[in-house]
Amino acid sequence: MAGKKSAVPARALPLLPAERQPWGAIIAFLLPAFTIYTALTAYPVFRTLWNSFHTVLPKKEEFIGLANYVTLAQDEIFWRSVKNTFIWACASPLAEVSIALLLALALYAKIPGMRFFRIAWFTPVLMSYVVVGIIWVWIYNYDWGAANAILRVLGLESWARAWIGDPKIALPSLIFITTWMWTGFNMVVLLAALHSLPSEVIEAAELDNCGWGAKLWHIIIPLVKPTLLNLLVLSFIGKMKIFDLVWITTKGGPLWSTETVSTYTYKRAFEWTTFDLGYPSTIAAVWFVFVLAAVLTLTWLFRQRDRLEY
Amino acid sequence: MISRAFLFAVVMIYTAFAAGPFLWVATMSLRTTTEISRDHYAWPEKLHWEKFPDAWFNSNYSVYFENSLLVVISAVIVLTVVGAMAAHCFARYRFRLNRLAYFIIFSAIIFPPQITIIALFQILVDYGLYNSLIGLTLVYIAVQLPLTVYILESFFARIPADLFDAARMDGYPEWHIFWKVSLPIALPAIATTVILNTILLWNEFLYAVVLITDEAKRTLPLGIQRFMGDQLEDVGMIATGLMIAIIPVVIIYIFFSEKLIQGMTAGAIK
Repeated sequence: MAGKKSAVPARALPLLPAERQPWGAIIAFLLPAFTIYTALTAYPVFRTLWNSFHTVLPKKEEFIGLANYVTLAQDEIFWRSVKNTFIWACASPLAEVSIALLLALALYAKIPGMRFFRIAWFTPVLMSYVVVGIIWVWIYNYDWGAANAILRVLGLESWARAWIGDPKIALPSLIFITTWMWTGFNMVVLLAALHSLPSEVIEAAELDNCGWGAKLWHIIIPLVKPTLLNLLVLSFIGKMKIFDLVWITTKGGPLWSTETVSTYTYKRAFEWTTFDLGYPSTIAAVWFVFVLAAVLTLTWLFRQRDRLEY
Repeated sequence: MISRAFLFAVVMIYTAFAAGPFLWVATMSLRTTTEISRDHYAWPEKLHWEKFPDAWFNSNYSVYFENSLLVVISAVIVLTVVGAMAAHCFARYRFRLNRLAYFIIFSAIIFPPQITIIALFQILVDYGLYNSLIGLTLVYIAVQLPLTVYILESFFARIPADLFDAARMDGYPEWHIFWKVSLPIALPAIATTVILNTILLWNEFLYAVVLITDEAKRTLPLGIQRFMGDQLEDVGMIATGLMIAIIPVVIIYIFFSEKLIQGMTAGAIK
């Protein structure tokens, strides 16, 4: 998504030769944005990188070279959190987008009251993770939560459990929450994409009497592929950042089973009584590289595949 | 006929699944905790509207609400002006480094928040802006700037260049072209970014939890989290607090659902 947009050459620009551009106006238009960007995005990034080679205590900073990086390489909790975050970032897009695609296809044929349903499905995305987190802490409550209540009604009493209290299932339980939240969003986007397709193509496929699976695989998926890939990347990036939901529901527990890189960084910077901001900065710096690498790989991978098929 | 009924069942189940939890919170927000603990899923017998003023005045929600409102409104105003100026410039002027400058700002969309948040904490402490709503507002502006520029740039770029050439021929100064030509045409896109930024910032939690600790300066998400921590058992009151945070979003959503869906899905459709 990132690469594609920016690769588009400047378009629809006035036909003034470059040397006659009003540089005064250009600078005036860009100055506020770049001041904010430099002071509160670029400078903090560099300061974090600088921190990562230092011990940063209040009123005392000391250069320690790569010591933080060496510690980090052996930090089991860090690697645990990396693993959890990657599991989340890989499982979520697949679950959200595939369920959303199936639902969108089911609803492709117009349904009365579509507008209302669309609004209802979109609602979870608009709520903050704090609100959603608290609601799901209740839903997962062992004694009276909706999850166990429904299982009991269905006679599946033995399946009831402490969903976010058991290290084995806490992470999948949280992933379920984000899937609940984002599937509707993906579905609305996919419905829009489906409706923008030329209907002749889909009708032609129906006339040719090709099977439902074949139609899905050979016609619909290739047609909405750019949208699908965008949604996958979007969901991936979102989950690589996840913090609020974990912080409200489990704080990374039990036993680090839901620790994500964001929560671990926060704990090391502002909760643990080490007071050192250098080490958490190292976590941030390494994670920054991981995220960039992952996003670049995804963009590159998706482009390669585009090229092969067309 | 059967398939139609099946389809309808799928839609109903999914809708209940997506919206049910909110309905549940809404019912609990009007019931007392004692009533709730008797049966968590009963419909309210008597509507306890008095819980809302109670939360508002006695549990400090008025303070949280005002803080959120102040931070979000100021951040969104600055964001819109600054973002629109930059987006107009990227879309309208062909100058060297245009695409590079655009890419520098745009690429910040994928930055994980950790890479800036620790240093932002240090910077705000250095300048006495830690624990202040002004500091939080500035950070919010920086955080949402890339997305704002991205949405507006793609809209500005689609405005036909003839309009601008005509304005230039007529001798309009550059600022007027932005103010009198670009902005009015781009109003729909600007409305989209305003609504989108308002909701995203209204819900923001991570930066707020790092940069604000004073009780009197907490924004709504922080206030709710604190209340949840202090009054873990008081499910009814927490639900009322949740509704106070949800209602403004729902009101915006009722009026601008199309705009919002457009904003959230911008860029995802190709």
